[in-house]
Amino acid sequence: MNLLALLGTLLLLSSVWIGTVEAKSSVGDRVLVLVPKLESAKHYSRFLDSLKTRGFDLSLSAASNTSVSLQIDGERLFDHAILLAPAAKKMGGGLTPQDFVRFVNDGGNLLVAVSSELSDFHRKLGKQFGIDFEPRGSWAIDHSEFAEQNNQTDHRLIAATNLAKVPAVLSPEILTGGSGTNASLPVFYKGIAHRYQAKNPLLIPLLVGSTTTYSGKTEVDKDGNIRSAAVDDMPLSGKSVGLVSVFQTRNNARVAFSGSTALFSDPLFKRTESGNAPFVESISKWVFQEKSVLRESNHRHYLLSTGEQPDHYLITNDMVYEIDLSVYNNDKWHPYKADDVQFEAIMLDPYIRVTLNRTQTSDSSATAATYHGHIRLPDRYGTFTFRVNYKRTGYSNVDVQDTVAIWPLRHDGYPRFLTAAYPYYTGSLVMVLGFLALSAVWLWNAEPAALKESKDMQKPRDDEKKKTKSKSK
Amino acid sequence: MAREATSSSNEAFATSVSGIVSSLARDYAANTPQRLKVIDAYMAFCVVVGVLQFVYCGLAGTFPYNAFLAGFGSAVACFVFAANLRMKTNPKNRAQFPTGSPEGAFTEFVFCHIALHFIVANFLG
Repeated sequence: MNLLALLGTLLLLSSVWIGTVEAKSSVGDRVLVLVPKLESAKHYSRFLDSLKTRGFDLSLSAASNTSVSLQIDGERLFDHAILLAPAAKKMGGGLTPQDFVRFVNDGGNLLVAVSSELSDFHRKLGKQFGIDFEPRGSWAIDHSEFAEQNNQTDHRLIAATNLAKVPAVLSPEILTGGSGTNASLPVFYKGIAHRYQAKNPLLIPLLVGSTTTYSGKTEVDKDGNIRSAAVDDMPLSGKSVGLVSVFQTRNNARVAFSGSTALFSDPLFKRTESGNAPFVESISKWVFQEKSVLRESNHRHYLLSTGEQPDHYLITNDMVYEIDLSVYNNDKWHPYKADDVQFEAIMLDPYIRVTLNRTQTSDSSATAATYHGHIRLPDRYGTFTFRVNYKRTGYSNVDVQDTVAIWPLRHDGYPRFLTAAYPYYTGSLVMVLGFLALSAVWLWNAEPAALKESKDMQKPRDDEKKKTKSKSK
Repeated sequence: MAREATSSSNEAFATSVSGIVSSLARDYAANTPQRLKVIDAYMAFCVVVGVLQFVYCGLAGTFPYNAFLAGFGSAVACFVFAANLRMKTNPKNRAQFPTGSPEGAFTEFVFCHIALHFIVANFLG
């Protein structure tokens, strides 16, 4: 019996252990995949299989399936959602774009791919994230950088190479075209273009058009060839043609929009010289929080003199601030190494802003890098906020805040005598002594002058007498 | 010629200036009562102490300003009190102060000083 129980616990422990290893995402592995029909999932088999091998638990469902819901009793049912059904007007049992926004607000990650025939649902969803899709039926067209398909030239199949240089999202091999076999290969793209808000700091236009890319409509000529229709107005063109954009919300949920479902499809994965597989792997890893997830594992502040965190600080105290930062990459938490982590002491305005130094450590198994700073607090009392607000493109936001009180010195905490004021102390003391000396001279050492004075004093009195006499006369 | 004339006039001027100064000094030494001479010396001392503190403040900065004000103000006020005492005890001003006596003026001087140094000590920090 005992042996059996032991075996049981061992089995349980090992399953737990396997479970932790399999979960590659830092937040969870439940994925909802919505496709137009269940059969159409096979178009994306390579993409979906790669997700399964990465340890995700895929729930495949048709977009029209009314039993699909994102949450039960306010609890998310999925950690991630992939929408591959651009034409669907309704998602699941009447899920609205707002439901997906709420899903993201709750911390869920979202990967959305649309095509030229996108529904209003997707247009509205895109607008929530600063992405404005071009009119229905239009395509991203490039007459210069296109790929051949089935020996037919189709200028809608773009070989896009204009990748944003964001190493936190796109792996360095894709960006630099290093030694890897898939290096600097074009990403094949066939779909609709979108406008992106260039000023939105949360939005990264990851893949944009080249100088010859524009957004326009097509028509079929009498030979059955697809031709681009005449452009009558100023079209969206060049780098403002958004193809794939990613968005990180303030609560660190991540969203990706692709104007092309074909980007994720097997035919374009399988093409020779195709960079789709590594590109999709990069963005899906980023969106599903498998990489570039930053967290603060610990932070502390204390007096330099005592090494302990006091109840309150005094003005101009010397203190130390420390923060531990980890980054989740490749299935593990690693020390996050950077040279731009800043500390701020704020009371309405930042009174202090210093760059923290990374503490060098020889511990190779450490999961966090410690940053420290020696800070002299301002000569100002009040309620301060100690803050590390670290926001870098592609990384999760770290915003750590502590509210601390900085007190003025007590009445007996000030120095009694100031060195700078010694001349003034001496000056006033000398004046006291001078007064005493004058008084002494006046009282005891003025005999001859007194005699002389008494003589002198007679004269004006005589004059006065004369005057009064003359007046009376 | 002109040079000689100017030099001779300069000499005459110099002799006249030195003559004025020396006669002034002689007259001061002979005709000023000793008590007034003591007060004059005290007033010169006040000026020296005040100027020294002012120069120090100019060099070292205004911190601590209250201590500077106290020290410098002490010198200025002592100068003013001494000037008042000198006016009241000068026999030539007898006509202007017919009622007061030198002893009364000195008493006022002492009381003012006690109040002054009390304030200065408080303000010094």
